[in-house]
Amino acid sequence: MTASTQITDAKKRYSAGVLKYKQMGYWIADYVPKDTDTICLFRITPQEGVDPEEAAAAVAGESSTATWTVVWTDRLSACDSYRAKAYKVEAVPGRPGEYFAWVAYDLILFEEGSIANMTASLIGNVFSFKPLKAARLEDIRIPVAYIKTFKGPPTGLIVERERLDKFGRPLLGATTKPKLGLSGRNYGRVIYEGLKGGLDFMKDDENINSQPFMHWRDRFLYVMDGVNKAQAVTGEVKGSYLNVTAGTMEQMYERAEFARDLGSVIVMVDLVIGYTAIQSMAEWCRKNDMIMHMHRAGHGTYTRQKNHGVSFRVIAKWLRLAGCDHLHTGTAVGKLEGDPMTVQGYYNVCRDSYTKTDLQRGLFFDMDWADTKKIMPVASGGIHAGQMHQLIDLFGDDVVLQFGGGTIGHPQGIQAGAVANRVALEAMVKARNEGKNILEEGPTILKNAAKSCSPLQAALDTWGDISFNYQSTDSSDYAVTPTVA
Amino acid sequence: MNAPAYNLPGITSAAAPKADAVKNTAVADTGARTVAQVMAQTQVQQVMDALDRDLVGLKPVKSRIRDISALLVIDRLRLNLGLAAQSPSLHMCFTGNPGTGKTTVAMRMAQILHELGYVRSGHLVAVTRDDLVGQYIGHTAPKTKEVLKKAMGGVLFIDEAYYLYRPENERDYGQEAIEILLQVMENQRDDLVVILAGYKDRMDTFFMSNPGMNSRIAHHIDFPDYQEEELAQIAQHMLQAQNYRFDDEAQAAFDQYLHLRKQQPHFANARSVRNALERARLRQASRLFANPDKELTAEDLSTLNAQDILASRVFLPTKG
Amino acid sequence: MLTNPTGKVTQGQFSFLPDLTDAEISLQIKYGLSKGYAWSVEYTDDVHPRNTYWDMYGMPMFDLHDPAGVLMEVNNCRKSFPNHYIRLMAFDSTRGVESVAMSFIVHRPANETGFRLERQEVQGRSMRYTTHGYPMDKPENTRYGK
Repeated sequence: MTASTQITDAKKRYSAGVLKYKQMGYWIADYVPKDTDTICLFRITPQEGVDPEEAAAAVAGESSTATWTVVWTDRLSACDSYRAKAYKVEAVPGRPGEYFAWVAYDLILFEEGSIANMTASLIGNVFSFKPLKAARLEDIRIPVAYIKTFKGPPTGLIVERERLDKFGRPLLGATTKPKLGLSGRNYGRVIYEGLKGGLDFMKDDENINSQPFMHWRDRFLYVMDGVNKAQAVTGEVKGSYLNVTAGTMEQMYERAEFARDLGSVIVMVDLVIGYTAIQSMAEWCRKNDMIMHMHRAGHGTYTRQKNHGVSFRVIAKWLRLAGCDHLHTGTAVGKLEGDPMTVQGYYNVCRDSYTKTDLQRGLFFDMDWADTKKIMPVASGGIHAGQMHQLIDLFGDDVVLQFGGGTIGHPQGIQAGAVANRVALEAMVKARNEGKNILEEGPTILKNAAKSCSPLQAALDTWGDISFNYQSTDSSDYAVTPTVA
Repeated sequence: MNAPAYNLPGITSAAAPKADAVKNTAVADTGARTVAQVMAQTQVQQVMDALDRDLVGLKPVKSRIRDISALLVIDRLRLNLGLAAQSPSLHMCFTGNPGTGKTTVAMRMAQILHELGYVRSGHLVAVTRDDLVGQYIGHTAPKTKEVLKKAMGGVLFIDEAYYLYRPENERDYGQEAIEILLQVMENQRDDLVVILAGYKDRMDTFFMSNPGMNSRIAHHIDFPDYQEEELAQIAQHMLQAQNYRFDDEAQAAFDQYLHLRKQQPHFANARSVRNALERARLRQASRLFANPDKELTAEDLSTLNAQDILASRVFLPTKG
Repeated sequence: MLTNPTGKVTQGQFSFLPDLTDAEISLQIKYGLSKGYAWSVEYTDDVHPRNTYWDMYGMPMFDLHDPAGVLMEVNNCRKSFPNHYIRLMAFDSTRGVESVAMSFIVHRPANETGFRLERQEVQGRSMRYTTHGYPMDKPENTRYGK
């Protein structure tokens, strides 16, 4: 009886005492995952002296049925089917001490239609486990059988475009700045100026809920006044993401209903409300014909470091099932973390009908989304009109580009900032459709468009040289190209 | 209100300059100055060589096509130097009996025109009168327009075009289709090339009654009937393509067959040859079928005998 | 005249740029055809942002290879309806999309009058808003001139 093989003799297996996880049956080297299994890819850093396969088995055990000692009560159940099975371990290229571990989970382990349950199972216990120095849930393959228990995004990318009647180009938005401190009336001014100048959406920031300087009802009233004025002046459908995040679900419903009654097309929630609240809000949005914008507040605490946490691509997959229509997924060229290939991987997860394995983009599994609606990704954070060609080349048409500082900080005013962004966008889309190589000719195209549009010229003059070149903390281990130039 | 001024009240900024007028060049200079350069810039030579190789006979047709191609190459050079402002009229008329290669050559012509840059994509849409003309009032115009839209950028091939004109029937809507065609052939020469096809005598009558159509056709090409040696060659090509061969007696029998068949009515050239070969295959199959226990070699299966040919009705002595 | 920075109703993909020439429209049509979209010409004199259904000028055009056919229809529509808004829409039939992929305005009336915002006070500080187009009080086809 070695320490590395599963003990199959029941009497030996279940006599009281401590066994290795591999002996308990959590490591099955030749296991072939079923189509209905959920497969998780963990990146584990075992403590010194811990065998990687044993560590993988421990992860499998601690995220399914095991505890640290043998328990006889296991025999009351068909315990073999409830055990997660670690079946493959590979060293991570270029990072000694780190291993990729594949673990398969039977369908019966998860409650239908509950992301809270799936996350509690997979990441609820195992990450504090002492024999692991660090662990990261790198990627996940969710089976069609489980995907079909979720309703997914309440509106979806296609229906959102149909509601806005805007096709063939990225959508434009801006976050109101300053994040905090404006009164309701002044806030509405920023909304009106931005929308009138040509943006499609304006946005509350994640921490604007209902503070002493501005009660939420006042914000909603003034914002909707600005939105409707802008709609009349331009003839386009306009919107502003009203943040309905609050302390309790009841308050959230109250705020969302008020937004609906005022005629908003869209509401916004922050990730920190939790998966249960997110699923409830998605149900509400579907019943009330609202688009749901998700701000990924707080994700950076656990998605950013390569060796520990949960990768954002997993969060994006969970959120697509839990239900949201917009999701911040990164800009690659802006002020916030994200190397271009990895960020494109997140965009693929949001927009694919069928996600394909793409190691350079950090996607480790083929995953059939079973016609779940698509999320519109949102690129927000330190981007400006001078980067329009890079953004469209990286992300295509189905994205919301948010230029907060890039609109409000324009020297000629907010409307001018909005005009600059919209003209840059339309000129770039037109040029791309005409067959030009926008990555090479982008700056020229912008310059030519700016010749007849002075706000765009001013924007290029003000921000043309700004870029954020820092080493990414989380790029693919399989990448061949260096991070953002 | 053409170009927005993006004037934001209260903001002083430089006046927006007028947008550059878009230069409306109908034909762009490709830069070629010699015939060889034009040929090198395009794949015309390959298409011409393929035409020579793949189509048997048709000497007068091929030489006309070479002439037309030379004319188009020279026209391209003239356009490049700005000597000609407008592209030449390219509409054509192919006359001849059925089975003489008109549709095939039309397809090759579409490719040549595409290679030389006279049509934007080299596709061919082949139609007859029924595709263009409707059965009741108001039916024709949308039908014709649909066909035209699908053909634009390429070549529209109208087989038996004379059926468009039926003066004896006053409720005939073919005239409407002709009107629409005439308009497009004249005003949208850059968008579409039309090739009409049919029997020579009936096309001549059609043109006499429709001088407008006649004046828009730039090139008339006649497709003569194939000679017997050419038909034999065509037969050889068809057999080889399907891995069949004649033995020597069969070859002689087939030559005799061609000689007799050509004189009979409704001879459709290459098509008749194909039908004859099909029937020969049938007879070979029946002949081999009669002997179920014989082991058939590849030789047996691919050889056609004289009796497979001679069984044809063509050889019956009752016909004069 | 609208007071937004362009002075036009800014629906569609390219409303913030100078009006597209026919050559530029052809390039956009070509792009759509290369992606397998079906183009459709639509016209209206009611440009309310929530008016989804403009009137179709002929059926959507499937199986075309060349922009010239679509441009022909656009010009015919301009001749028939010189005082209407005309747009080109491209339909994408791929599974998972099955919706409109491109949409831009190719013709506008000479004098765009825009909308007014009507406010109705309800309880508290709440308002109900309606966007009302100025020409809408006139019958169809007379709104922007004959």
